[in-house]
Amino acid sequence: MATVDVKNLCKRYDDFVALDGVSIAARSGELVTLLGPSGCGKSTTLRCLAGFLEPDGGEMAVDGQSILATPSNRRGFGVVFQNYALFPHMTVAENIGYGLRLRKCSGSEITTRVHDVMSLVKLTGLEHRMPREISGGQQQRVALARALVLKPKLLLLDEPLANLDARLRDEVRWLIRDLQQQSGITAFYVTHDQSEAMAISDMVAVMKKGRVAQFATPREIYQKPVERYVADFTGEANFLSCRSLEACGEGRMRISVGGAELDVDCVPSLEPGEAAELLLRPESLQLATLGEDVTFRGRIVKSAFLGASQHCEIALADGGVLKLTTAPNAPVRIGDEVGIVVDRSHAWLMPEGTK
Amino acid sequence: MSGASTMFVQQRPVGLGFALLIVLLYVFLLVPLVTIVGASFTAGLMIEFPPRGFSLQWYREFFGRRDLVDGLLLSLRVGAITAIVTTIVATMAALCGQALSGRKGGWFQLAMTLPLLVPELLTAVGLLFFLFKIGLGKTVLGLQMGHILMSFPYAYVSITAALRQVPSSLDEASASLGATHWQTFRMVTLPLIMPGVVMGAIFAFINSFDLYTISLLLKPLGGNTLPLALFDFLTYEFKPTAAAAATISIVLSVIGVALVQRLVGLQRAF
Repeated sequence: MATVDVKNLCKRYDDFVALDGVSIAARSGELVTLLGPSGCGKSTTLRCLAGFLEPDGGEMAVDGQSILATPSNRRGFGVVFQNYALFPHMTVAENIGYGLRLRKCSGSEITTRVHDVMSLVKLTGLEHRMPREISGGQQQRVALARALVLKPKLLLLDEPLANLDARLRDEVRWLIRDLQQQSGITAFYVTHDQSEAMAISDMVAVMKKGRVAQFATPREIYQKPVERYVADFTGEANFLSCRSLEACGEGRMRISVGGAELDVDCVPSLEPGEAAELLLRPESLQLATLGEDVTFRGRIVKSAFLGASQHCEIALADGGVLKLTTAPNAPVRIGDEVGIVVDRSHAWLMPEGTK
Repeated sequence: MSGASTMFVQQRPVGLGFALLIVLLYVFLLVPLVTIVGASFTAGLMIEFPPRGFSLQWYREFFGRRDLVDGLLLSLRVGAITAIVTTIVATMAALCGQALSGRKGGWFQLAMTLPLLVPELLTAVGLLFFLFKIGLGKTVLGLQMGHILMSFPYAYVSITAALRQVPSSLDEASASLGATHWQTFRMVTLPLIMPGVVMGAIFAFINSFDLYTISLLLKPLGGNTLPLALFDFLTYEFKPTAAAAATISIVLSVIGVALVQRLVGLQRAF
């Protein structure tokens, strides 16, 4: 258990700025995810924490103690790699016992602890296999066991599921989350998969070009993103450009959009009159049936049957397009004029930004 | 049908032509070896093929001659020390080369393989002057240094190739589990590059065993390596003893290759 404080971390390679003042904090026992596209600095941040890279500036502290001067082999953090990084010339049990052997544990202690952690990650029976003889999912569980057996202060996971196929990914993902919560280890988790990030994190840092665009809970990241980049990266989203008219209470704004006037929640720093964009997640929109309070009117331009639901796109009079999902058997025909009902508690106003 | 036209016909003729080419190549490579090995067993007095009868007299003669046996022993000793020293230094150099990145790494690589690029004679002359300057002219130690220098690039290339196959994440994983650099090298890196290291050692040995020019210039007073002793011998006599000596060299090389095959597998070695 440990708290982690990363402050203003910087790293540059020649003229490429990899980290441009990254600040993230993790409370004890939390799983913090660094989410972003490749090249955004998420892995670089993790590698600085692990001690594989030396930052050019900033501070990293665990339990209030700076770790900047501590080499990676003394940090006592567990690291799980995308390519597993198992030692190919050692058996599964030898891989897992490697750290214990370095710590000069007795043979019997190594055997017991390796055995215990192997049953924890459901690998019992594979002790004497070589890494190349087991599946990718099993290999990643060996890597996880190898890190956990040392009871690390901090667990660092660098895209641990990226090389697994979809079904295994789900399984290993929940295993990681369960083990992390059971043992109460603070963890940092790097991924570019937003659904993965949402599902297992206590906190998510969405990264953009070496900076943290937003650091918040998954719910907040999804429902109240601070900019369009974050909204875009965390799931399906509709954006309508609009005019903010006047503030109407703390963090609320009256806006004019698509021929309607609405009161919606907004990013607190937003000023009236500023160009703004309205975020409407597809699930907060519904096709209107008779007698409902219709917000927008438009024409269906595209529809697709997806089995459990239908996807359709509706062109509004002012040129905006809204994507939404409907019940699988809702009558949807291309060309129909429809009304759209907006769940206003899930509409969110952000400053207009570049993508 | 000529080789060129068969290229354009069906699978089968191409296969046949190719097989023929391979057979010819092997014949070309193996005929001298077969001839010399055969000739060493002759019961006659001349190097000739096919041998006249069968006898081991020329081996007896070889092992009875002080100059040739001394040459063999010196070659074996220098070769063994060359293999050991070269492998250790080349492993360190390969680790260094891996740690250097980009342009620096390229220059380092070039510098390490330089002895392959400079004509052996030039290196030999340069070394001769240098060794006399530092008081090691015409000594076994000087000869030894020359052999290590000439064999170094082979071991270096072989070990560097092995090192490239080890992903850097293994080093990082090992460090994160608490290993020092030395522990990582001993428990992870070295076992994984062992095939390349062994191969480098064997290459270094075979290369040292074969060196002629550099040995000629740097040889110690009164000492000869086997190739030098053999050449001296052939200048005055043309007896099958030379064939016997050559056969012994061939056997040593074959043992080397067999060791590589046994420890590494030739497919992985090349």
